[in-house]
Amino acid sequence: MDIDPSKILIRYNVQKEKAQTPEDMAAEMYPKAEPARTICAAIFEGEEDDVIEGLEKAIEGGADAIKLIDDVLMVGMKIVTDMYDQGVIFLPNVMMSADAMLEGIEFCKEQGGSAPKPKGKVVCHVAEGDVHDIGKTIVAALLRAAGFEVVDLGRDCPVDEVIAAVKKESPMMLTGTALMTTTMYAFKEVNDRLLESGIKIPFQCGGGAVNQDFVTTYELGVYGEEAADAPKMANAILAGKGLAQLKETFHKH
Amino acid sequence: MVKRYTSMAYKAADDMIFGKSIYPVKAELGLEVGAGYVTAEVNYAPRPEAGVSKEKLVSEYRRLTTDIMARAVQVGFPAVSLETEHVEQMTNNPTWGGEIAHVQKTILEEYHEEYGIKTALRHTPGDVRENRDLLALIGDKYDVLMESFEAVADGGADFLSIETMGGKEILDYAILRNDIPGLVYSIGCLGSIDMTMIWSDIRKIADKKGRIAAGDTDCAQANTAMFIAGGLLDKNLAHTIAIIARAISAPRTLAGYEAGAQGPGKDCGYENTIVKSITGCPIAQEGKTSTCAHSDVMGNLVMQCCDLWSNESVEYHGEFGGTSVQCWSETLNYDAAMLNVATETGNAKLLRDMLVLSDKYRDPQGYVLAYDNAYKVGQAIVKNGDDLYLRAKNAAISCVDILNAADSKKLIMSKFEKNALADAKAALDAMTDESETFMSDCLEKYKAEVAVFRPDANYKF
Repeated sequence: MDIDPSKILIRYNVQKEKAQTPEDMAAEMYPKAEPARTICAAIFEGEEDDVIEGLEKAIEGGADAIKLIDDVLMVGMKIVTDMYDQGVIFLPNVMMSADAMLEGIEFCKEQGGSAPKPKGKVVCHVAEGDVHDIGKTIVAALLRAAGFEVVDLGRDCPVDEVIAAVKKESPMMLTGTALMTTTMYAFKEVNDRLLESGIKIPFQCGGGAVNQDFVTTYELGVYGEEAADAPKMANAILAGKGLAQLKETFHKH
Repeated sequence: MVKRYTSMAYKAADDMIFGKSIYPVKAELGLEVGAGYVTAEVNYAPRPEAGVSKEKLVSEYRRLTTDIMARAVQVGFPAVSLETEHVEQMTNNPTWGGEIAHVQKTILEEYHEEYGIKTALRHTPGDVRENRDLLALIGDKYDVLMESFEAVADGGADFLSIETMGGKEILDYAILRNDIPGLVYSIGCLGSIDMTMIWSDIRKIADKKGRIAAGDTDCAQANTAMFIAGGLLDKNLAHTIAIIARAISAPRTLAGYEAGAQGPGKDCGYENTIVKSITGCPIAQEGKTSTCAHSDVMGNLVMQCCDLWSNESVEYHGEFGGTSVQCWSETLNYDAAMLNVATETGNAKLLRDMLVLSDKYRDPQGYVLAYDNAYKVGQAIVKNGDDLYLRAKNAAISCVDILNAADSKKLIMSKFEKNALADAKAALDAMTDESETFMSDCLEKYKAEVAVFRPDANYKF
């Protein structure tokens, strides 16, 4: 027994697929000048060695190593994240590009002897009692790829440590992920302890069992349905949006 | 030394059907799984606030167990099975899990005695073998886990299960980088090594306590891939990569049976049809009636060969139709009734094939897991059944071959999926046929690239 499946299902993703390949689309977005073009292409391909080779050539040619971070590496990474946001490329492409870009940044810092100023600082953690951290890993990588400094507190992070880190680092945003319904309750405690300390930063929460209904039960909580919401939320904060506006933008249900 | 599977339990794919397995298992209160009928397996999670104390947790499980059984007899269902997946407190404090198992089993016994309803209880301790920063598969946490199994077996749990995490430290790295050798290493090799160890010990406990060492699932790895892949419009992981991870998970879950598991396999092991084709042991599955827990893209198809039919998990709370466990158990039971009517009227294979065709072409995952193709993956696994690496690689190659041979007018894949598939094939073609070479190369590679990889401590290298 078999069937013509066209009557019972539709692959909307195939229908919507663009004729142009991601590689062709990216090539149109690369800077025209060399070696920036080659370096951006290497970031898109996730080729760490080629990124370093391109940077070496640029520095040999007289480029400022630290300026290359903003002028070339971040430009290349933005092409990747923009294409991911548009649904043209997949998350592993972003992760591999981020690996290549971060290696490039480290190389530039070594060569230049200093570090550039990040766009802002974000503290990331996994709820106390919860060891499922792949979501947090993705969030942290996407934030770094977007130019933010990430203080990664890891998984199963006690509330005390979260509060201490926020006090020490003064981040623009805190993120929390959890897979279990029983562990996500730690987010409420984090919220209460931050408020007790007079700290009112956006607290982006997401992950397996976390839903918008739960996150809206505490004042600082902003629900992030997708990991990709994290850099968008951080950029929105940079653009001056407050808690209420963030909730309006990111709460979808 | 465990004996590996080198042949198939079923002579042909068409012999596989829901409700029947070659080696049924029987629980204490009359329920026989895989003996000719499908039974609902109800899953649940306590409300978050119930986790604050043992007393509150025990009370939560007492209420929800009573709710499920009350609804089952109200609507006249002949059988129901329950699964308690531990929250971490219940495993880390073995007496908690043991007491909850006892409370639940006592309720099941009361209903069985009063109404004659066939029933069983599965307990699934959490895999707590890790600390804040690292997997800790062997050592103190392992001992706690074994104590937990002893306690729930003493408490009355019929089926002992777990969702183990061996290899996950590499999987989490590899899956985000389309790293096919990494998937084979993490799931097929490391996962199987851990499964062989832990299931040998679970079986010893089951035998000592008169319980059934049921089965595992590659939830920690293949389901991670499936959930990252998400729906058809999501761009987080190609579905072709997700199904390759799933195919590789079958020999890993098989390792549990080789070490002593007898079924029913765990519900969220979407690899279970492949595993059943090799072992002939009964399986639990979840799909269209587990949408309370997560979405998949093969909700009907996955019923094809189930022996228990599960809802994966639902938080205990009120709904318009009763408590959530009553609503979802009722739905599961109606599904089971439909399947059993098909069996009783001689239409089981027809219904199986209708269920399969409703999802087979929805995406590459359902296509490969359709029982005819799942059987082919099983054959590829047993071809080199004695070699953990080769059989995992075979499963991946078989999966790729099945997709490449599919009718492209029916199984329509996106360019992304096709490109990812082509890249995966190239990666597989480049892999060695020598297990020792592969294992030593991966050991060096991932020791260098994955900071949390502790091969000596976790896998006794």
